[in-house]
Amino acid sequence: MAGFAAVLRKDLRLELRGGESLVALVALSLLILVVMVFALDPAGGVRDAATAAGALWVALILAGVIGSSRVLLAERDNGCIRALIASPLDRGALYWAKLTAAFIFMAIAEAAAIVLMVLFFNLDFDWRLMRMAPVIALGALGFAALATLLAAITGRVRAGDMLLPLLAIPLFVPALIAGVKASGAALAGAPFAAIAQWLKILVAFDVLFVSAGSLLFEYVIGEE
Amino acid sequence: MTDAAPIAARGLFKSFGAAPVLRGVDLTVAAGFAALIIGRNGAGKSTLLRILAGLWSPDDGAALLFGEPSAALPPAARRRVGLVTHQSFLYPNLTARENLEFFCALYGVAGAPEQIARWLERVGLAVAADDRVRGFSRGMEQRLTLARALIHRPAALLMDEPFAALDAEGVAMAAALIGEALAGGCAIVLTAHQPLAIAKLEFALYEIVRGRLVARPADGGAEPRGAIDPRQPAA
Repeated sequence: MAGFAAVLRKDLRLELRGGESLVALVALSLLILVVMVFALDPAGGVRDAATAAGALWVALILAGVIGSSRVLLAERDNGCIRALIASPLDRGALYWAKLTAAFIFMAIAEAAAIVLMVLFFNLDFDWRLMRMAPVIALGALGFAALATLLAAITGRVRAGDMLLPLLAIPLFVPALIAGVKASGAALAGAPFAAIAQWLKILVAFDVLFVSAGSLLFEYVIGEE
Repeated sequence: MTDAAPIAARGLFKSFGAAPVLRGVDLTVAAGFAALIIGRNGAGKSTLLRILAGLWSPDDGAALLFGEPSAALPPAARRRVGLVTHQSFLYPNLTARENLEFFCALYGVAGAPEQIARWLERVGLAVAADDRVRGFSRGMEQRLTLARALIHRPAALLMDEPFAALDAEGVAMAAALIGEALAGGCAIVLTAHQPLAIAKLEFALYEIVRGRLVARPADGGAEPRGAIDPRQPAA
């Protein structure tokens, strides 16, 4: 537990000073949303909830590939991953610390992206956004778990940064479909039952990849 | 706890592609002794140290720390190992004090604030304690690296060119720290490109020649005090 807290505190402190992950996440989300707005409806005007939800999730995935894996890849870039592996730190604690940091960064970036989505797609700041909170939180957790595990694997090979999206995006497709459908339903004001069926898929995805990460991380992070 | 040698290698082989780097390296370093391993660039010194530290696996043979395979060392044993490599393992955006705080937390160092202040003083970085490492010179980084590797009082110390980038005062300081560790019963393996002539420090001298570890009497004379037969059993 002390190791988990130390690594997480260090990552958050470094992020507050450097801001690499958050800046990448928010900036890329902004750019993708802007591109999507112009691509989908250059003339402007009101957009529908499903389109807004789709654009939001595209932004989150592409930004998340770059941003959420930075917390682990940065350790490899500066060589400090070797110190962590050689230290008494339990590798399970390292996984949970990296996953927690990635989740926090993604959650903050998603909050910013939702604000941008509302502005760009002429939506309202109302109660429907609150109904998106569990959808977005589950999506962020699932993607952070997937990206943390895959970053541990791809970080060991050349051009791992390029390989990460090639692996992460196809694997995230089930959660992406569920997330878009649930977000669209939430934004359209559909009954909770319509959202819940998709939430179940997101929960299953999260359980699968958080479990896989906690079981496999110590083996894939292993030798440098 | 066993009475196994803190650091041992048994028939280590390692190749990169078709190029063999280590070809049957045997080494035992008992508590309170130091082995200095020299060799040309690319001789395999850093490879040997990384294998001993458990960062790389050998193709064949065994690297042992406290009698256990270094790649599968339990956390309690890893707590007793200090490591200095070509990379400092320091976070540039943290201050010197914050870096040591982080490693103290990882290694469970008791009385960390006092220890950190003491070690920053020892390595001559007290005045730069709250400066970020990214602004440090290479020599200052190396001083902080030594503090990072020694602050938890390791019983086995693996040091890849620990005197690199240090000025004369820094070399004397590092030698004093290594001497203290030796006097405290720490087993040490150091690497260098050539034999070190540092007052008050005695090493068993070895050279990696074509992948094999060869004992070299210091200054062409007798084995220095503390020399260890590389074929000596680990336990």
